[in-house]
Amino acid sequence: MKKFSIALVLLAFVGFGFTDHSSAPCDPEGLANTCIPKLAEGFKFLKAYKVDGALTGKEKVEYSYVLTTGTQYMINLCAPGETPDGIVVSLFDGQRNKIATNKVEGQILSAINFACQSTGIYYIQYTFDGGARCGGSALGFKR
Amino acid sequence: MRVVFVLAAVALLAACGSEKKPDDRAFEEGLDSLHQTTTLNQEMIDGILQQIPSPLEISVLLKESGTKYDGALLNPAANFEKYNSRYKMALNLGVYGTDLGYTNIYEQSRAGLDYLSSIRTLADGLSIGQFFDMQTIARLAGNSKNLDSLLLLTTQNFNELNAYLEKQGRSYQSVLLLAGGWVEAMHITCQTAAKNPANKQLMQTVGEQKIILEQIALLLSFYPDDADIKTLATDLELLKQAYEGVSISHTYQESSVEVVNGVAMIKDNSSTEVQITPQDFEKIKAATASIRSKIIG
Repeated sequence: MKKFSIALVLLAFVGFGFTDHSSAPCDPEGLANTCIPKLAEGFKFLKAYKVDGALTGKEKVEYSYVLTTGTQYMINLCAPGETPDGIVVSLFDGQRNKIATNKVEGQILSAINFACQSTGIYYIQYTFDGGARCGGSALGFKR
Repeated sequence: MRVVFVLAAVALLAACGSEKKPDDRAFEEGLDSLHQTTTLNQEMIDGILQQIPSPLEISVLLKESGTKYDGALLNPAANFEKYNSRYKMALNLGVYGTDLGYTNIYEQSRAGLDYLSSIRTLADGLSIGQFFDMQTIARLAGNSKNLDSLLLLTTQNFNELNAYLEKQGRSYQSVLLLAGGWVEAMHITCQTAAKNPANKQLMQTVGEQKIILEQIALLLSFYPDDADIKTLATDLELLKQAYEGVSISHTYQESSVEVVNGVAMIKDNSSTEVQITPQDFEKIKAATASIRSKIIG
């Protein structure tokens, strides 16, 4: 009986040790906050965005913001695993034309740097190409 | 075992969640039908609220364009004593937020601290003073090398404050905060542009604000039963009329991309043309000054 109990305890520890990371708690707010200091030098922080596809089950997460002519914007990504962990960020203009994406020639990059030449409402859309479907993002600007 | 931990965590969270601060309870009890919206409308309001750009962008633009700091353009910090209603407090919290950003960008730390104090007083009056870390901000403001940290912290404070208001069902106060902040930014920009007529960038910026004005007017339209908000909406309607002659045309062209150090560098090939005449500008400046005067008066 004693050996059986010890075996059960050991199995429990092993079970926790091999926990699938995709089922680990998603902390998009925490990840968004870690993205803020990772904005490139010279960029001033504007917004932090939660990118949560794990808990919500959403296929895409979208925010919007007015971007201004003559201003450079950076949108970066942070993920629990190796960033960007399959998170694809795309930028659409007010007419839903795709302006930018971090997926370039099949490679998913950790940030986009957009030099805006047309003031207007833009949609920042996050989708998932594998990975934990959980992350955070920060938007910054400089002139 | 895992189930036990989860149940314990849920019990703990439920206990914590029920301990609301007295101020939160008081405000919840005070929420009336004037500011209640449907779930669909609330989603629209939240969506539009997030679009409104930070007035910090305009302050940076003003500084980068070479215009000098002019403290006389700002709402005097001492005016906070005049604001006794939640409506005026929320509006002027936004006004002072813009003024704080302006003073910070120009590294006017003494003035910045005065605005910070007024902001804290108004925020306390709205039971949201906890979002301003006064000690840290004051410490950062004392050293020009801390400018980036100062801007980051104040921006975060305002972002968290707005998120809290939305969660608490007080989005109408977020709307007022953003409206007040935007009007103040418009006022500073118009007055600066008037003194620098050769600066075409400033004129273009004034013209582009038509986009944001339309969003703010839309936000205010969600609260038709609030007499104060309705008055503000009527005032902004006059500003919309002043903008009637301003046209903004957008031409889309596919952007190009280059990867540099693991970052997608996007070259925007689209363009915007803003048509604004000196007559349009004068009307807009006058309407803005009038609205702003009512807000801070």
